[in-house]
Amino acid sequence: MPETSSLIARLREEGLAAIAAARNESDLLDAKGRFFGKKGAVSGILKGVAGLPVEERKAVGERANRVRGELESAFDSRLAEIREKERVAREGRDRLDVTLPGRGPIPGHRHPVSQTMSDIISVFRRLGFSVQGGPDVEKDYYNFEALNFPPEHPARDMQDTFYVESAGGDLVLRTHTSPIQIRTMERMKPPVRIIAPGTVYRSDSDITHSPMFHQVEGLAVDRNITMADLKGLLTEFCRMTFGPGKPLRFRPSYFPFTEPSAEVDIQCVICGGSGCRVCKESGWLEILGAGMVDPSVFGFVGYDAEEYTGFAFGMGVERIAMLRHGISDIRLFFDNDIRFLSQF
Amino acid sequence: MKIPYSWLKEIVDTRLTPPQVQEALTMAGVEVSSCRFLGEGFESVVTARILEMRPHPDADRLSLCKVTDGSTIYGIVCGAKNMKPGDAVALAKIGARLPNGMEIRKAKIRGQASEGMLCSEQEMKLAESSAGIMILPADTAPGMPLADALGLSDWLLEVEITPNRGDCLSVLGVAREVASITGEKAVLPEVPLREEGEPIGGLVRIDVSDPDLCPRYTARVVTGVTIAPSPDWMRRRLALCGIRPINNIVDITNYLLLELGQPMHAFDLDRLRGPRIDVRAPKESLAFTTLDGSERSIEPGMLLIRDAVGPVAIAGVMGGANSEVVDGTTRVLFESAHFAPSSIRRTARRLGLSSESSYRFERGVDPAGTAYAADRAVSLLSRFAAVSVAKGTIDVGGERVTPRKVGFRPERATRVMGREYAPEACREIFRRLSFPLVTSGPGSWDVTVPTHRFDIEREIDLVEEVARLSGYDTIPTTYPESKAPDFSEDDRFVDLQERAFDFLRARGFSQAVNFSFVSGRTWERLGEVLGFDPADAVRLKNPISDETTLMRPHLLTGLLSNVADNVHRFVDDVRLYESGKAYGTSYVDGHFEEPRLGLILSGKRLPGDWSGANAPADFFDMKGIVEPLLLHLCASPVHVVPTRTRPFFEEGKSADILRAGEVVGWFGAVRRELLASFELTGAVFYGEIRLREATASSSPPGQYRVLPKFPPVFRDVACVFPIGVPVGDVLAMVRAVSPEVEESSVFDVFTGEKIGDGNKSVGIRVKLQPLDRTLTDAEVHSIHSKIVKLLENRFGGKIRTS
Repeated sequence: MPETSSLIARLREEGLAAIAAARNESDLLDAKGRFFGKKGAVSGILKGVAGLPVEERKAVGERANRVRGELESAFDSRLAEIREKERVAREGRDRLDVTLPGRGPIPGHRHPVSQTMSDIISVFRRLGFSVQGGPDVEKDYYNFEALNFPPEHPARDMQDTFYVESAGGDLVLRTHTSPIQIRTMERMKPPVRIIAPGTVYRSDSDITHSPMFHQVEGLAVDRNITMADLKGLLTEFCRMTFGPGKPLRFRPSYFPFTEPSAEVDIQCVICGGSGCRVCKESGWLEILGAGMVDPSVFGFVGYDAEEYTGFAFGMGVERIAMLRHGISDIRLFFDNDIRFLSQF
Repeated sequence: MKIPYSWLKEIVDTRLTPPQVQEALTMAGVEVSSCRFLGEGFESVVTARILEMRPHPDADRLSLCKVTDGSTIYGIVCGAKNMKPGDAVALAKIGARLPNGMEIRKAKIRGQASEGMLCSEQEMKLAESSAGIMILPADTAPGMPLADALGLSDWLLEVEITPNRGDCLSVLGVAREVASITGEKAVLPEVPLREEGEPIGGLVRIDVSDPDLCPRYTARVVTGVTIAPSPDWMRRRLALCGIRPINNIVDITNYLLLELGQPMHAFDLDRLRGPRIDVRAPKESLAFTTLDGSERSIEPGMLLIRDAVGPVAIAGVMGGANSEVVDGTTRVLFESAHFAPSSIRRTARRLGLSSESSYRFERGVDPAGTAYAADRAVSLLSRFAAVSVAKGTIDVGGERVTPRKVGFRPERATRVMGREYAPEACREIFRRLSFPLVTSGPGSWDVTVPTHRFDIEREIDLVEEVARLSGYDTIPTTYPESKAPDFSEDDRFVDLQERAFDFLRARGFSQAVNFSFVSGRTWERLGEVLGFDPADAVRLKNPISDETTLMRPHLLTGLLSNVADNVHRFVDDVRLYESGKAYGTSYVDGHFEEPRLGLILSGKRLPGDWSGANAPADFFDMKGIVEPLLLHLCASPVHVVPTRTRPFFEEGKSADILRAGEVVGWFGAVRRELLASFELTGAVFYGEIRLREATASSSPPGQYRVLPKFPPVFRDVACVFPIGVPVGDVLAMVRAVSPEVEESSVFDVFTGEKIGDGNKSVGIRVKLQPLDRTLTDAEVHSIHSKIVKLLENRFGGKIRTS
């Protein structure tokens, strides 16, 4: 009996020690097998209880059972410990560096002039205008004559023109997108509401002039179009393009194909009207030209000027892009320097 | 045009200050781009006289001066040498801040105190440079503000005149504008005359043979002239307005050009042969030397002023060297004429000779003003020179000048402008403009327009007068009535472009914008490589530089030079696209232009990748962008076939894109010779799409097909082909083997020793998808055998067994 007792006590000590010393699940299972698995030492003692003297059976059985219980619960908690440790270790190994860049192309950049042009077009399309294009290599008739620039008229000096070699000698690179007005009205009867974006050319080159640049032209003709409508439309356009709270100023001006004509200034977006270098201390920035379609233009396209009135407006896209993005040299637009493009 | 405020005030005694004049004119359509006080920086600078001058004891280059402003004596250290005691000079006192930004402080210079500074013209910004200090006229009283002494207590307005307002190219014209705005009166200077000379008719005979080109010719003669400088005030005004003073006679013509807008010419009467004048255009070409010494080729139809023998001036453009006023001139004929604008413009343009005079005649000079200008010339001259004025004026065509009448309905103004203009308000505006009017019917008037307003011919011109003088700020903002907008072909095109831009942007491409014109020299030099035929080019007659002589036949060179520029700036991975037109000649319209989308790719396949995908990009990277882009844009498939006709691509590394049999684009590896000429060493891939053609017809909406209910079967075949076999064709024919073949795709391609030179191994995966049953092994086997037979018999393939 004392031998059995001390054996059980020893097995308990050794079992607990083996469980505690297990480094992984298989060490642990090994310990279980040796001490309290089906063929383990404690199980062996319990199996042998029946062969003991009656008076010893109960005590040995109870003691051995207790020890087995103790070992089992030590085993469970050590197993949980080991599994947790392994899970943590595995997670450390499999963890991704989520700060590494993703796989795939890095998006490119829209050209600021093209973006500005798209924005202008989409504002006017929302306001009910439809897009019309026209040729860059244009007939003198469309670029000048039908727009009421007669031959030998000083108004032609307003636009330094590139002439194109041609058999008839009457081709130019369009100096404005206004020829599209004529081409559209020749094709359509009123009501007309178009927006005409495009590339235009003038023989002029410095930090604010480029021999090629972009314009957007607009034209609306109907029975009751007025200059007040033009003011309303352009006010809305400026609000959508430059944001609210920027006063506009309409000044009388001259274009051969509109009368009355206006130049539209917006309060300087740089200084807010107090005067700076960009607005030449005036507090105003000229952003577009506009006016009521001149009756002689209607004459060229066969519209009755008593019945119909219309307005037209046109703006330089580079100028607006320069104001929006704070660009002071127009030539940057045509260098296509990726370091420049990637700023937008 | 520059206008001194003091001069303006002589004609309209306005209550407006110069800045108010600027604002008022600008808001009435006569833009005043600048308005500045001329004496700015002159505040503490006065006239002074030098009392004594001695050398600085410790500096050879400096002098010690004592100067007085009349009340105080100042000790000044001065570095200039050009003055002497008694000279009148400009003294900047302590505290002055000069126009060039210099501040004057009390200073000790090499031990000697200086109580101010003697100024140079450069320091006062009166000249670009000056050799010494400014020496004023000897009679200048000391102690005057310098600005007063120089006539600079004045403002200078710079006015931008639009081409329709030739009448505003003068002080008088701008004064009339001010008067129209304020309701004040513009008054011409009086012209007192003492005609003591002979009658003019005995001195010269004048004929106008071409009255259409010269509707009016007025002349006056003065005798007993001594050529001398003009008075200071006149010289100063001319200089302020940018005209170099010459002598008392020429200066008067220029002064009146500025004041009245009437160009005049002074002839030396003794050099006019006859003496007579005939205004006529020659029938033959001839050579003529103008007073600037240049010989000009006169063509038939150019209007000339002739004397009894030959030409003496090009009418309205420039006088001749043979008749101009010279130092010994004693008798002068002043010409004050009206010439037809288009004739003057044509002549000036043909001769490449624009003058202050031709500029005004082109824009319209008041035909009613010639006689007054001639009177003013001789009257002004007699004010400061002892001359004798010949009796009378010769005035040919004066009786023909009649003002125009233009109809006007106040209601029309209201209709065009969108605000009410009361008849009374319109009447008041016409009164201010000095446009008399009479009622011609109910609600309509006949308005008489003075002859100086060339721009007013129609009712709409009067509407504009009413609108601008009422102020555009009084026009309300309304919104035009609208119907549903049209959706045009160009709307569709704009949307299409936006979709292309978004797609390309997501694929890492940035947008470039290049000039549509290119260097003809480059294109001709590289003609063979660029596939360029000079006969096809649209050329400019007047290019701005060698870089802009012809319209680009395609977009490659612009993008290629963008790549080169970026690579040279150490940006190696370049992906750019450009949407723009290509141009060429055509038999139909003489030329054509076509929207294109150009793409260029150089550098790594996936820039910035860290996981092994950063190999150099190749042909298939470009194909992998072009093809899906076209699918993205129009959903209908395109065919890619090898091309041999585009010399700017490497042979065997380029393809055409076909859609419905039409070439809608091309792409490939840019030819090495071309890269070399742009100093590029790495490979560059380029693609160009004819945007309209590539997307011409939209595909009909996709139609639903029943989804299969039975499992597909996949079979892989590895096959060795001769290297020239197009895999695209193989895949297409495999698909056609049996209706059950739903897909055939490539999963592997390689070449190498193992499979023999001139061969390639291609792994093909076939997906068999029955619709109504599960395929049996026998069926699968049968299809597989057909495929193998096809590969072997049709394409010379050998099945590889692993």
